[in-house]
Amino acid sequence: MKEAIIFSIEEFAIHDGPGIRTTIFLKGCPLRCVWCHNPEGISPEPQFLDKKDERVLCGYKIDSDTLAAQVLKNTDIYSFNKGGITLTGGEPLLQADFLIEFLEKVQKVHIAIETSGHASTSVFGKVISLVDLVLFDVKHMDPVLHQRYTGVSNRLILKNLEYLCQSQKDFIIRIPLIPGVNDTEKNMLDLLAVIKEVKSLLRVELLRYHQTAGAKYTMIGKKYDPPFDTEASPHIYNVFEKHNIKTMIL
Amino acid sequence: MKTRLKNLKEYILDKKHHQFRRTPEELELQHLNETFQKENVHPVKRSAICLSELFNKENPVILPEEKIVFTRTITAIPDIYTPFEWDEIKKHHYIHERGTVCNISPDYEYTLKNGLEARKEEIRQRFEGGGVDEEGVAFLNAAFDCITALQGLIGKYAEYALSIGETETAEILQTIKTKGAGSFREALQLLRVLHFSIWEASNYHNTFGRFDQYMYPYYVNDIRNGVLTEEEAFDLLEEFFLVCNKDSDLYPGMQQGDNGQSLVLGGRSVSGEYLFNNLSKMCLKASYELEMIDPKINIRVDKDTPAEVYEMGSKLTKIGLGFPQYSNDDIVIPGLIRKGYSIEDASDYVVAACWEFIIPKVAMDIPNIDAVSLIECVTDHLKELNTCKDYNSFYHLVEKEICNRVECICSRHRNLYMIPSPMMSVLMDGTIERARDISEGSKYNNYGIHGTGIATAVDSLVAIKKYYFEEKKFDYETFISALSNNFRGEEELQHLLRKEAPKMGQDDDDVDLIAKDLLNSFDQALSDKTNERGGIYRAGTGTAMYYIFHSNHLGATPDGRKAGEVIPANYSPSLFIKHKGPLSVIKSFTKQDLTNVINGGPLTLEFDQSVFRNEESIAKLGMLVRTFIHLGGHQLQLNTVSRDKLLDAKANPDNYRNLIVRVWGWSGYFVELDECYQNHVIERIKFGT
Repeated sequence: MKEAIIFSIEEFAIHDGPGIRTTIFLKGCPLRCVWCHNPEGISPEPQFLDKKDERVLCGYKIDSDTLAAQVLKNTDIYSFNKGGITLTGGEPLLQADFLIEFLEKVQKVHIAIETSGHASTSVFGKVISLVDLVLFDVKHMDPVLHQRYTGVSNRLILKNLEYLCQSQKDFIIRIPLIPGVNDTEKNMLDLLAVIKEVKSLLRVELLRYHQTAGAKYTMIGKKYDPPFDTEASPHIYNVFEKHNIKTMIL
Repeated sequence: MKTRLKNLKEYILDKKHHQFRRTPEELELQHLNETFQKENVHPVKRSAICLSELFNKENPVILPEEKIVFTRTITAIPDIYTPFEWDEIKKHHYIHERGTVCNISPDYEYTLKNGLEARKEEIRQRFEGGGVDEEGVAFLNAAFDCITALQGLIGKYAEYALSIGETETAEILQTIKTKGAGSFREALQLLRVLHFSIWEASNYHNTFGRFDQYMYPYYVNDIRNGVLTEEEAFDLLEEFFLVCNKDSDLYPGMQQGDNGQSLVLGGRSVSGEYLFNNLSKMCLKASYELEMIDPKINIRVDKDTPAEVYEMGSKLTKIGLGFPQYSNDDIVIPGLIRKGYSIEDASDYVVAACWEFIIPKVAMDIPNIDAVSLIECVTDHLKELNTCKDYNSFYHLVEKEICNRVECICSRHRNLYMIPSPMMSVLMDGTIERARDISEGSKYNNYGIHGTGIATAVDSLVAIKKYYFEEKKFDYETFISALSNNFRGEEELQHLLRKEAPKMGQDDDDVDLIAKDLLNSFDQALSDKTNERGGIYRAGTGTAMYYIFHSNHLGATPDGRKAGEVIPANYSPSLFIKHKGPLSVIKSFTKQDLTNVINGGPLTLEFDQSVFRNEESIAKLGMLVRTFIHLGGHQLQLNTVSRDKLLDAKANPDNYRNLIVRVWGWSGYFVELDECYQNHVIERIKFGT
C-alpha cells in the first residue's frame, strides 16, 4: 500500500470548494514561490515547527487506507451539504502514486484538488480523471517572471492548463495577487486569453496577498524576506467579469 | 438605520438618560421595609405597595424622537423586608438566588390582546365567584392594586407626552392604559410597559418568549390595512430592540449583560407547522443593524427548517454578538414531554435567561436551582481505583456518587420561599383563578440542575479506562501521587493524559459513548426525585457561572488538567483539546441521548472573525449548524471573536467599550466582565486561526 507524508487535515475548510469540506495537506512542493504562506509544506520530509510554547512535528506518514477511512467517516455530512474533500499542499501531484491509489478509494465523495499544475501531463491527466473539481493556481503567465518568482518554468503548468481547458472537467482558477509581481493587467489578459469561452470554468478567484503570509517562517528556522513590497495593496484588474466569467475577490 | 434611531442609539450608548436617574434614598423610599415590619403588613400587600410607590415616584421621561416610551429613573428597588425579617425567613426557608421570582416567561400575549382592564375584570369576577380565602383576598387585592398603579403611571406618561406635543404617543398610551393593542406600535408600547413593570417589581431575568408569534398579528394587520409600510414596521421594531438596552445596566445578574432578555424566534406548532415568519426575519435584521447585546436571540429549528433560516442566523453570528443561539425542536419537545409537560405546552417552549428550556405563561419552574459537579463525582473516588477490578466497577462508583450528590442537593430545596410578585402574577395564567401569587407555584413547578465539567469528567474517565485499566501504563501509586502533587515531577504522565489521550470532541466513539453513559446516569439519578411543590427534577448540560466556581477548588484531574485550571463552560470540549475541527466536535457532542438532559445547556463553537469573509462562508456556517441539528444536537451557540482583539481589549478597555462576547449563555460587553470570565473567553478553542 502507498503512503504519503501529510502535514494537516483541516475540517470545515471554508475556502476550498463547495459545501462542507475537509482539506488534506500533502507535504512537499517543487515550487519556491517567494510569497508562500505555507512554508512548512515545501519540504517533502517531516520537520519540526517551533511554536510559541512548544516544538511540534509537522508532517507524518499515513497510508491510503487509513486516510481514506478517516475521510469517509464523514461521507454523510459531505453529501448532506454538497461538499466533500479537497487535496492541497504543498503540491499534491508531487506524491502522485499515492494520490492515485487514495483517490480510487474515496470515489464516493466529491473530490477537489488544488494544484499548481506543475507535473507531467500524463500524471496530471490521470489525477484529474479521478476528481470532480480542480482548483488550478496560476501565478504568472510570463515564463521569465514565473521562473524568477517561483523557481520553476511555467511550461508544464501552461500545458496542463490547456489540457484542463479541453478536458471538460469543472475547474476554478486561483490567482494570488502579489503586489508588484503578478498583479498586472497584462498578466490577467494573458490568462484570460487561455480561459475565456471555456465552459467548464466555474469561476476565477483573486486572492489578495495577506500580510500575515510570513508568520510561519521563523517556526521552521527561516527568514521571510520577499523581494516585493509586502505593505502595498495589490492592483485588482478584474478583466474576467467582462467576459462573463464569475470572479470572486477573497 | 434611520437617523432618528442612530441618534437615539448614540444617546443611549453615551448614557445620557442616566441624568434622569435617582436613588431610592433620594426619593426617600429606603425605609418602606421598616414601616412594613412595624405595621406587620402582609407580604403580598407589601409588594403591591412598594411597586405602587415606585410607580408614583417615576418621572415620565421621553428621549429625543422616541416613539416607544418608558424609561426607568429609579436606580434600585427597595427591599420589602428588613434585614431582621430576612434572617427570620432564612432560618426556615430555602432561598433561591435573591428570593425573587425570576427566569420565567410571562404571558404577554393575553394582556396585549385584552388589555390591563381585562385582568382587573377577571379579579372582580373571581371575587364574585366566591370561595376566596383570606390569603386569596390579599393576593387578588394586591394584583388589582398593581394594575391600578401601573395604569396611573401610564396615565402620567400620557399627560406628559401631551404636554410636550407628542400627541400620537399620548393617544397610544391612553389606549393601552385600559385596552388591548390595536396596532403594532400599540402592541410594542404595551409590551414595553409590561416588561418595564416586572423589572420595577424586582423580578429579573425577564424573558420575552415567542415574540415573533405573539406580535405577528399586530404586524400583519397593520401591513394589510396599510397602517404601516414594511419599512415603518421595521423602524418601530428596531426601536423596541434598542430600548431593551436602555435600563439593562440596572437589571440584576451575575455580570453586566447577564440580564435574561432572551427572545425566541421560529419553532414548530403542535400540528407541525414551522412558524418562522416575516417578523422573525425582521428581528434578525434589526439585531444585525443595531449590534447591541439585547434582546438575545434564539432560533427554534428542526430537521425540516429551510437552509435560508440558518443563513440568516449565520449572518448575525458573523458580526460577533454571540447570538442567535439555536435549539432543536426534534430533541427538546420530546424531551419535555418525557418529563411530563403536555404536548401543547412542550411545543410552546421558550428559552430562559441563558439556555434553559421553559414553558411560557404556565410554568413556575426554577431551571437553575442548583448544579452538580460531575467531574468531582469522578475525582472523589480515584483513591478507590485499586479496589476496582475493571473500568465498569469504577464507573459504578461514579454513578453512585452522582446519586449521592443529587440526593444531597435535592434535600436542600425544602421550604422554598419567594417574595410575592403580584405584578408578575398578573402576567401569568391561572393565578387569578387559583387566587394565589405566582411565587407559590403554577401548573409546572419543576427544578433544573446544571451538570458541570462534563467534558473534563468524560476525558478523565476515558484516560482511566484506557491507560489504567486496559493498557496499564501506570500503577495506582504513581497515578494517585501524580494527581495529588499536581503532576510535579510527572510531566511525562501529564503529557500523556493531556495531549495524547483521546478526548471528547475528536469524534471518537469510545469517548463519546462514555459521555452518553454519564448523562444518562445524571438523568437517572434525578428520575425519582420530586420537589415539595409536586414538580420533578431535570438534568441539564449547562453550567451557568459554576464552571468558574467548580474549577476553583478542583485539584488536578485525570485528563491532565492541573489544579486551578478552568473547566469548559456548558456542553463544550476541554480547553486544551488537540482538536480536529468543528465537524468532529459536533459529531462528538451529538451521540448522546440529549432528550434526557432537557434542562438545556449548549455546545459552544468559537470561530475566528477572519473565517467569515463573504456570503459563501456565511452560508457554510449555516450548513454546519444545520448539520448539527440533523445529527440530533439539542442546543448550539456560536461566537465569532478575534483573540488579538480580546487581548488588546483587556489591556486597553477604553478602546473597546462596545466589544461584545458570548459568556456562558448570554452576550455582554467584554470590558465589563470580571477577569476570570474574560480569560475563559480568551482561552476557549477557536476554529480558523
